[in-house]
Amino acid sequence: MRIEEYAEMIYACGRCEFCRGFDFNERCPEIFTQKWESSTARGRMLIARALLEGKLEYTEDLAERIFGCFLCARCKEECKKAAQIDIVEITKAMRADFVDHGVKIPEAGNEMASLAMEKGNIFGDSPAFHAKWAEGLEFKKGSGILFYPGCLASHRFKEKTRILVQLLQAAGYDLDFLGDEQTCCGTPLWITGNMAEAKKMVSAQLKKMQNRGVKVIITPCPSCFRAFDEEYPRILGVEKLPIKVRHTSEVLEEIVEKKKIKLKHKVKKRVTYHDPCEIGRYRDIYEPPRKVLNAIPGLEFVEMSRKEAESFCCGGGGGVKLMYPDYSRAVSRERLTDVLATGSEIVATICPACEMNLTHATYEADAAIRVLDVAELMAVSAGLVDEEILDPYYIPDD
Amino acid sequence: MANVGKITKLLVKVVGSDRVSDKHFDLIPYGRDLSPAKEKLPTHVVMPKSREEIQGILKIANMHDVPIYIRGGGTSHWDAFLAQEPGIMLDLSFLNAIVEINERDLTATVQPNCTWAKLDFELRKQGLTYLCSEAGGPAMTIGGSVMKGGGGPHGTAKFGFHGNQDIITLEMVLPNGEVVETGSAAWPSAGKFKRQCLGPDLAGLFIGAEGILGICTELTLRIRPATDFKERLLATMDSLDKVIEFGHFINRHVGDEYLQGAYLWVDPSAPDVFLLMMDVFGYEKEIIEHRKERVIEKVKELGGVFGDSEPANGYFDGILTGLTDIFATGVWHFFGSGSLRIDDIGVIYKIWREELIEKRGYTKAGFGGNFLPRDWLAFMVTNYKEPEESEMIMKLADEINELVLSGPVVPYGIGGREGLRPIVEARNTGYYRLLKVIKKAVDPKNILQRGIFIPKEELL
Repeated sequence: MRIEEYAEMIYACGRCEFCRGFDFNERCPEIFTQKWESSTARGRMLIARALLEGKLEYTEDLAERIFGCFLCARCKEECKKAAQIDIVEITKAMRADFVDHGVKIPEAGNEMASLAMEKGNIFGDSPAFHAKWAEGLEFKKGSGILFYPGCLASHRFKEKTRILVQLLQAAGYDLDFLGDEQTCCGTPLWITGNMAEAKKMVSAQLKKMQNRGVKVIITPCPSCFRAFDEEYPRILGVEKLPIKVRHTSEVLEEIVEKKKIKLKHKVKKRVTYHDPCEIGRYRDIYEPPRKVLNAIPGLEFVEMSRKEAESFCCGGGGGVKLMYPDYSRAVSRERLTDVLATGSEIVATICPACEMNLTHATYEADAAIRVLDVAELMAVSAGLVDEEILDPYYIPDD
Repeated sequence: MANVGKITKLLVKVVGSDRVSDKHFDLIPYGRDLSPAKEKLPTHVVMPKSREEIQGILKIANMHDVPIYIRGGGTSHWDAFLAQEPGIMLDLSFLNAIVEINERDLTATVQPNCTWAKLDFELRKQGLTYLCSEAGGPAMTIGGSVMKGGGGPHGTAKFGFHGNQDIITLEMVLPNGEVVETGSAAWPSAGKFKRQCLGPDLAGLFIGAEGILGICTELTLRIRPATDFKERLLATMDSLDKVIEFGHFINRHVGDEYLQGAYLWVDPSAPDVFLLMMDVFGYEKEIIEHRKERVIEKVKELGGVFGDSEPANGYFDGILTGLTDIFATGVWHFFGSGSLRIDDIGVIYKIWREELIEKRGYTKAGFGGNFLPRDWLAFMVTNYKEPEESEMIMKLADEINELVLSGPVVPYGIGGREGLRPIVEARNTGYYRLLKVIKKAVDPKNILQRGIFIPKEELL
């Protein structure tokens, strides 16, 4: 079993319940949605212990407790105070154990992994459709700076992605784009435990990029960012990839700090910011997006009550949106209450999955609030895009 | 043993299928507490949302002779809520509402699984807070603390254990399903404002009983204005006698104590260094300043040395949010603990030093204590590695517990067969015999917490 690698951590759980928090809706989205003690990190460590000791087997009905985790790392953050258990990695190992043991996992998880492998994107679209967002944009093949949007930005947020590229190009970045050759980063494989093909896929992806002369990857997707920066080296057994990986949060901060673009138009809006789990808790990237927002003239920035390391998940993590959509919706609704409490007109974030889930929550609640990428606000201020995109009832060209 | 499937069906009729489970993986997380006690699995977990549902569950339990074990936040030690035999784990997680905050009467009425952190978060919005609590972290529930008569570092130097000053009324569901209220709430046309009235204090019967006499479904607590000013101090002393003198000093003015929290810690690597962390109490800056000055004078008079107060801030501030690095060197176990007179602390210290460290050569356990009004809650605590050290720790703890409780120390947190239950049973005091009579009267089938506090055989 893959969890054997984490036995020491599993036995280190002192069952303190910091991971659970003081109410169902306070920190862990899994206990918020499933309610069972077995859906807490503490419960999962005891389940893992029973698996290690041969007192329990992986079964189909256990899958909900393991695949219903949003991998948001809120528990891991709390456990830094207590036993420093990497609950996310243990959960991923448990998911992989399910697959290795041939135990059925949620069908939507397998479908997502299969589509990513077979079609090159999680939506099963054709390569031409995959690159449709880039129509009319010019890229510089072989520039060495690869813009890698990832599946969601390519397929669900064409307009946002165009705006981001326009902004980056206006700031002087010579971007390359894989076009029809772009394929999924592989995240669906490791979050669903489908590791058998992972090494082959990762090797092919890396080879393709190296052949193209890629030196730097810029991506707006925290999952893609972490895939290239963390998972690829781990799967390939190397310390670092020969390619530098940058999330747009860092690049946008660079644009502001080096004044690569002039933020000249006022954006007179009250704006809050949602911390994506995968760049926040996973990578401690909290300040860069805030710096950018605070640099936009006229923008009134307000924080949510739960922010940074204590931020609540948007509901889009861990593949739960596909595998358990009702749970995902419940979590996004809960996060929207934090947004609405700030009285903001716009919630900015910097992750396509968060943008999608929060957008769905605003539609469902018919809330007069717009979900925007930090880059879109910058683009309005820079005069690259009309301010009509700030309107809560604006319909994007997606 | 009752048929598991049959009981599941009956429980589903009471609460619905989404709040009952007999799946092995749902039961495993209820099999251990915060001690090295062996895993004990229930047969079912059920999560009621109302007292009526609890009554329905009790009816099933009585009819089919299935014990019920009560679960709060799951942060107890000493085998206190583990299923001593196959039975239903009553997880009270859904009963976690704040029913009322009465700013005029300074009372808060809550359901049992409301956590201290949740209550405090709401109280602070109104400039209020609670009286005292343990250091159990964010999931520690009010009902759990009260039903085990808990105590800890926050507020206890002034207000004592739970039940000493902070509990006003209780709503309890008895094993036969009847709902009773205590204190002023026992008089239906009155309200929830007073603990001792009408007759005997029946709240005291339930507080500390570890759930063997009833299931708490609502509590009314005394609350108080939050203090706007706080001062934390840290000092070391070079003898326990000096610490004892300091203990007398801080709460000799009964009812007007200098501190609201005072924690003693002695690390096994330096058994002659007595570290004190202090949380000065007061409602006005002048009062705080005065108390701080008097405490500083007294510590200096006793030869104590002050140090950086940051660890004291971290300690007292972390009580609700979670103390840091608690499992950095292994999981926890508390043992050799109990209540004792201020002058008697040396007895436990001597056992810790001579029996544990010198004679048995165990050097990983520290010695600590919290000052209470005119007494101590003292303990030993260690970090150990599971599973390899679990049995050794349990054996060691049993030996030390026996020694400590043979002295002037009253046990606290009795629990099940791997807790202090065997020691309490062996003493067979008049108190214990009366408790058995009461238990038999209110729970003739021994449904609630069977095997907790009193062995099953003692109640036949």
